[in-house]
Amino acid sequence: MKDYLTFALKRFLQLLAVVFTGISVAFFVSYLSPISPVETIIGRVAGQSAYSPEAIESLRQTLTELFGLNVPLHERYFNFLGRFLVGDLGPSLLAFPTPAMKLVMLALPWTVGLLTVSTILTWLIGNILGGLAGYYQNSRLLKAFGVVAIGIQPIPYYIVAFLMVIIFGFLWPVLPISGGFSMNVRPSWSPEFAVSILRHAILPAASLVIVGLGTWFLGMRALVSNIVTEDYVTYAELAGVKRERIVSSYVIRNAIVPQLTALAMALGGIFSGTIITEQVFSYPGLGTLLVRAVNAGDSAVVLAVSCIAVIAVATAIFLIDLLHPLLDPRIKAE
Amino acid sequence: MRKLKTLLASALVSLAFGGTAIAQEEEAAAPPLNEFPREETLIINNPEPPAINPGMFNMWVAGNGAAWSNGLHQLALDTLWFIDPDAGLEGALYNQLAKEPWQYNDDFTEMTVHLREGILWSDGEEFTADDVVFTVETQMKTPGMVWSAPFSEYVESVEAVDDYTVHFTLKEPNSRFHSNFSVRWNAAWIMPEHIFSKVEDVTAYDFNPPVGLGPYTLHSFDPNGYWYIWEKREDWDKTALAQWGEPGPKYVIYRSIPSTDSRLIEMVNGNLDMIHDLTPEGMFSLIKQSPTSRGWFPGFPYAHPDPTLPMVIFNHQNEKFQDKRVRWALALMLDARAISMASYRGAATLSAIAIPPTGTHPRDYHAPLQDWLTDYELDTGTRKIKPYDPTIGLQVADMVRPQFGDEVPTDEEAIRTAFGYGWWKQDIEAATELLEAAGFTKQGNQWMMPDGQPFAFTLNTFQEGVINRMGTMIAQQWSQQGIQVTAEADPEIYRSTLPLGQYEAATAWSIETWGGDPDLSFFLDSWHSDYVAEPGERQPHRNWQRWKNPQLDEIIEEVRKTEFTDPRNLELGHEFVKLMVDEMPVIPVMSFNVFSAYDTRYWTGFPTAEEDPYANIVTNWANSKYILTQLKPAKQ
Amino acid sequence: MFSVFRDLIRYNIEFTIGVVLVGVIVAFSLLSFASPVDPTAIYTTIPDMPPSAEFWFGTNSRGQDLFWQLTFAFRNTLFFGLTVAVLSRIISITVGLTAGYLGGWTDRTLMFFNDIFVAIPIFPILILFYFVLRNNLDMMKLALIMACFGWPFDARLIRSVALGLKHREFTRHAVFAGMSPARIMYEEHLPYVMPIVFSTAMANMIWSIGLEVTLAVLGFTNINVPTVGTALYWANNHSAMVVGVWWWIVIPVVLIVMTFLGLFLLAVSMNEYIDPRSRLRRMGA
Repeated sequence: MKDYLTFALKRFLQLLAVVFTGISVAFFVSYLSPISPVETIIGRVAGQSAYSPEAIESLRQTLTELFGLNVPLHERYFNFLGRFLVGDLGPSLLAFPTPAMKLVMLALPWTVGLLTVSTILTWLIGNILGGLAGYYQNSRLLKAFGVVAIGIQPIPYYIVAFLMVIIFGFLWPVLPISGGFSMNVRPSWSPEFAVSILRHAILPAASLVIVGLGTWFLGMRALVSNIVTEDYVTYAELAGVKRERIVSSYVIRNAIVPQLTALAMALGGIFSGTIITEQVFSYPGLGTLLVRAVNAGDSAVVLAVSCIAVIAVATAIFLIDLLHPLLDPRIKAE
Repeated sequence: MRKLKTLLASALVSLAFGGTAIAQEEEAAAPPLNEFPREETLIINNPEPPAINPGMFNMWVAGNGAAWSNGLHQLALDTLWFIDPDAGLEGALYNQLAKEPWQYNDDFTEMTVHLREGILWSDGEEFTADDVVFTVETQMKTPGMVWSAPFSEYVESVEAVDDYTVHFTLKEPNSRFHSNFSVRWNAAWIMPEHIFSKVEDVTAYDFNPPVGLGPYTLHSFDPNGYWYIWEKREDWDKTALAQWGEPGPKYVIYRSIPSTDSRLIEMVNGNLDMIHDLTPEGMFSLIKQSPTSRGWFPGFPYAHPDPTLPMVIFNHQNEKFQDKRVRWALALMLDARAISMASYRGAATLSAIAIPPTGTHPRDYHAPLQDWLTDYELDTGTRKIKPYDPTIGLQVADMVRPQFGDEVPTDEEAIRTAFGYGWWKQDIEAATELLEAAGFTKQGNQWMMPDGQPFAFTLNTFQEGVINRMGTMIAQQWSQQGIQVTAEADPEIYRSTLPLGQYEAATAWSIETWGGDPDLSFFLDSWHSDYVAEPGERQPHRNWQRWKNPQLDEIIEEVRKTEFTDPRNLELGHEFVKLMVDEMPVIPVMSFNVFSAYDTRYWTGFPTAEEDPYANIVTNWANSKYILTQLKPAKQ
Repeated sequence: MFSVFRDLIRYNIEFTIGVVLVGVIVAFSLLSFASPVDPTAIYTTIPDMPPSAEFWFGTNSRGQDLFWQLTFAFRNTLFFGLTVAVLSRIISITVGLTAGYLGGWTDRTLMFFNDIFVAIPIFPILILFYFVLRNNLDMMKLALIMACFGWPFDARLIRSVALGLKHREFTRHAVFAGMSPARIMYEEHLPYVMPIVFSTAMANMIWSIGLEVTLAVLGFTNINVPTVGTALYWANNHSAMVVGVWWWIVIPVVLIVMTFLGLFLLAVSMNEYIDPRSRLRRMGA
C-alpha cells in the first residue's frame, strides 16, 4: 500500500510537470502565430465602409495597446502563468474584453455532451460486436460486419457526415440537419427542450458512431481472438466449463483492460471538439471556436481551449496509470 | 451458432424499427413551430459564422465580437442616409434618419443635418439631435470604438442646434464627411443616448437587449450564436423605414449555416427564404431542384454583381511591373472568355474598365464609354492596334447556351447587363510586340526580362471560391505564353499580403464603389499618393498596388473639392477610367458576383434584376432591409 | 522467401486478394509518372463528364481528367501515409522498447515527453504550421510534422509489452550472455512487438490520412498539391455532392477503401501465417 502511494505521488508530480510543459508549449505556439488579431478587426471595421487611411492607422495603434501586443513575449508568458494559477486565461481578442473562458464555457457543454455520449456508444457497440466476432469466428454475419467495419473505417469522416445530411435531410427529410436545438424552444429543464436536443443530436452522433465503430470492433476482435487461442481457454473448454462463464470470466476480463484504457484516452481527447461535425451539422462546440480563434489570431481563446485539452488528456493518462495496477495485478506499480 | 445469428438479426431489425418508431413519436411530441408561423416569418441566411460572442450587441466597439449581419445592422439600427448599391426604391439615395440630404457650407468645413421628427427608439424614447451628438462625442473621447478614429480625425465640434438639427464643424475641408453616416454596406450607426449615457464603461457594455431605431426588435437568440429572431415593432410606423411601407414579415430569423450545401438543402426543404451565397454549381442545382427559387437574374448568370471589382493587382514597388507596356502585354495575353468560364462557369460580368459593371454604373460609365473603348488605340511599338472587343460578352453567352438553353438571355442589351460590355481581345502578337519594345526577349518558350533573368512571378489569390479559380486560370494563361507564373492560394491576402506589399501580383480588388452613385470617392480618395507607404511599410486600404500618378492625384484633389451630387463627379470619373486604361496599373476583370438566391414559396416582392432592381439581395448588406417593406405573403 | 509468397497465394485467398488490391492501387499511383497532363492545370478538358470510355473516372468541375488527377492524389497520399507510419513507428519502437527495458529514470523521462506529446492538441499546431509555411508546406514537411505527433500512443503500447518481456527467461539469458541492452532490444524484443507495429501502422495511416483530409477540407493544407484530401476540398468547393457530380467523391472513396481493405487483408494473413494457432482454429478444428 505504501509502495502504491509513493507511486501515486510520483505520478502526480509527473502530471503537474506534463501540464506545465504542455501549457507552456501551447502558449508559445499560440502567441507565435503570424496572424494578427488587430488586422482581423481592422479588416472587419474598415473593409466595408468609407474609412480613411489615417483613421485606420490610429485604430491600429489603439487596438495594439489595448490587447497588450506591444508588451514583450516573455513578460506576457509570466503574466499568463500567474493568471493561469488562479484560473484566469485573460480576455479574448476576438471578443475583447469578454474573458476567453466565458466563450469556451458556452461551447464546452455541447462538445462534452455530444462527444461523451457518442464515444461511449461507439465503444460499447464496437466492443460487444468485436468481442462476439472474436469468439464466434465462423459466424458469417459477424464476418460480414467485420468487412463492413474495415471498409467504412478509411472513408473520410467528412463524406460520412455529409451523406447523413443528404440522406436524412434531403432525400428522406426526417431529422433536423442543423443546430443544437429547435428555434421554437428555449433552453430549460423541460421535456420539449430535451427532446429537441436529442433529435438534433441523432445525426451528428450517428455519424461519429459509424466512423468510430471500426476501430473498437477490430481492436476487440483481435484481442478476443488472441485470448481464445490461449491455452487456458482451450483447457477450460475441454474441461466443460460453461460457455457464458468462459466468455465472462476468462475472455472479457482479459480483453477489457486495454479497451478501458483506450476509452479513457478517447474521452480525455474530446476537448478539442470535432470541427467537421460542427461545420457539417451547424452544431455548437469547441472545434469551431478553436479553428475560428486560430484563423483570427485570437491567441487567448486558442490558449484557453488548448489548456483545457492538455489538462484533460494529462489527467486521463494519470488516472489510467493509477488504476492499472489495481485492475491488472500482473502490472507492478513502478 | 444459428441461434446467435437469429438473435443478432432480430435485434438489428427491432433496433431499426424501434428507431423509426421513436423518431416518429418525437415528431409528434415536438411542439409545432406555432410561435413563428411560417407564413408570417422570413428566414434569412446570415453568411457570418455563428456569433463568437452571442450575447454582445454593442457594435460600436471594435473587436468585441458583436455580430453585425445577424439582423442587428439590417433591422434594428439606423443612421442618417443610405446609398443603395442598386437602383433604390426612389433613387439610390435614401434620406433615412435625416429629412433631407447633407448641407455643407461653401468650403466644406461645416455640415448641417436636419433630422426626421417623430421617430421613436424601440423602447419608446424619442430620437433627437442629442443622440447624434452623443454618438459622435462618445466615440471621439473613447478610443477603440469603430468610428473613434474617423470622428477624431475630422470633427472639430458637433452640436445640437435644436432637437432636430445637428451642426458639425470640421477640422479641415471635407466634401465627403457625410459618407461616415451613409450606409453602403454599413456606416456609423446612431447610439441611443438615453441608454449609453447611463453606462459607466461604454466599451464593456453588452447592449443586450438592443434598443434600436429600426422596425424590428430582438425576440430571442441562440446562446451559441447560430440564430437570431427579430419581431416587428408594434410602433413600426414610428421608424424611418415606415416611409417606404410596412415591413411584411412579423418575424425575421437570421441563421448562420456554415456549409453552403446545407443552405441549398434548407431552401429546397422550405426552411430558408434567402441565401447569401452558394457556389456557382450549387446555384445551377438549386434552380433545377426548386421551381420557386431564383437568383438576381431570372436566368443565367443568376448571381448578383456586387460593386467590387476583382482584378489583377500589380505591386508597383516591384521592378517587374514598372513599365506600362509590360502590364498591357500581360493584359493582352489573357483570354477573358476562358477566365469567365473557369471562375464563374461563364456567369461573370466582365469589365474592361476600372469600374464595377453593377448598380447604376453601366448606365453612367460602361455604356457611354463603349465607343471610346472600341476606338481606343494602343501603340505596340511596331504598330497601332484597337485592343477592345465589344462582343466578348455575347461570345460567352453563346458558349454557355448549349448547357443552359433558354436560361441564357438572347436580347443584346440583357446580355450586356449580365455578361458585360466587352473586354480586351486576346492578342498574343501585340503582347509579344509590347514586351519586345520593353526590352524583353523570348528564349524558346520563356520570356526573359531586360536584365536577362527569366520573367517569372507568383500570383497570390484567394484560398477558395471564384477568385481562386480566376487566379489559377490567369496564372495558367500567362504560363502558357512563356511567363512562369505560379498561383498561390493565400488565406492572409487581405490581412497581411496586400497591406504589407509582400507579393508580386495578386488577384483581389482595390476598387469598391457605392454602386448606386457615380461618385468614386468611396475607394478613390485612398489612392492619393500621399498615402502610398514605403516598401516594407504597411499600406492602408485600398491602394494595394501602391501606384502613384500625378494625374490621378489631380483627379482626386478635384473630387475632394466637388460636392457629392455635382455632375462634375461623373466627368472626373470618366477621366479616371481613361487614365486607368492608358496606364493599366491593375487589370480589371469582372464584378464580384454573389450567388444569392431567394425563394418565393412564402414571400413575394423581392427585387429582380430585370424589372425592379430596387435593392441588393445579398443578405448581409444593411440596405437589404428595404426588401422587407416590399414583401407580401405568397398565400393570402 | 519466394516460396512463402507462393504458398500464401496458393492457400490463402485473403492474402491473394490483399496483394491484388494493394498492387492495383500502387500501380495506379505509379501511373502518375507517365501522366500526360499537369495536375495543377485547370480547364484542360470538358468539365463534369461522367465516367466513360474516354474518361474512365470522368472529369471534375475544374475541367480535369479525374483518372490522372487521382493517380497523383494517391501517389501523394500513400507516400504521405507511409512516411508518417514509418517515421512514427521508428520513434515509438525506440522509445517504447527503451523505456520498457531500461525502466527507472529513463522510463520516467521518456514517458514524461510521451505524455506531453499525447496531451498537446495537434490541430491548432497543424493549422499554425500551415499559416507559417503555406505554399511551402509540401507532403514531406506535413509528414514530418505528423510523425512527431503520431508515435506516443503506440510507444506506450510497446512499452507495456516490453515491460512484460523484461522479466521473461530469455531476456535474462541474453543478459547473462553479455548482450548489450541495445542488442537485446533489437534482436530479442523487437520480434515480439512486430505484430503490434504492423497493426498500429495501419491505424496510424488511417489516422494521418484522415487528418490530412480534415485539414484539406477546411483549406488548411497546400491545396495545389493533389491528394485525396484536396480532391475532396475541390469537390466540396464545387458542391459536387448536391450537384450530382458523384464520381468526384465516390471514385476516390472507393479507391481509398480498396487500399485499406488490401492492407488489412495482408496484415491479417501475415499474422495468421506467423501464428499457427489461429490458423488451426480457423480451419474449424
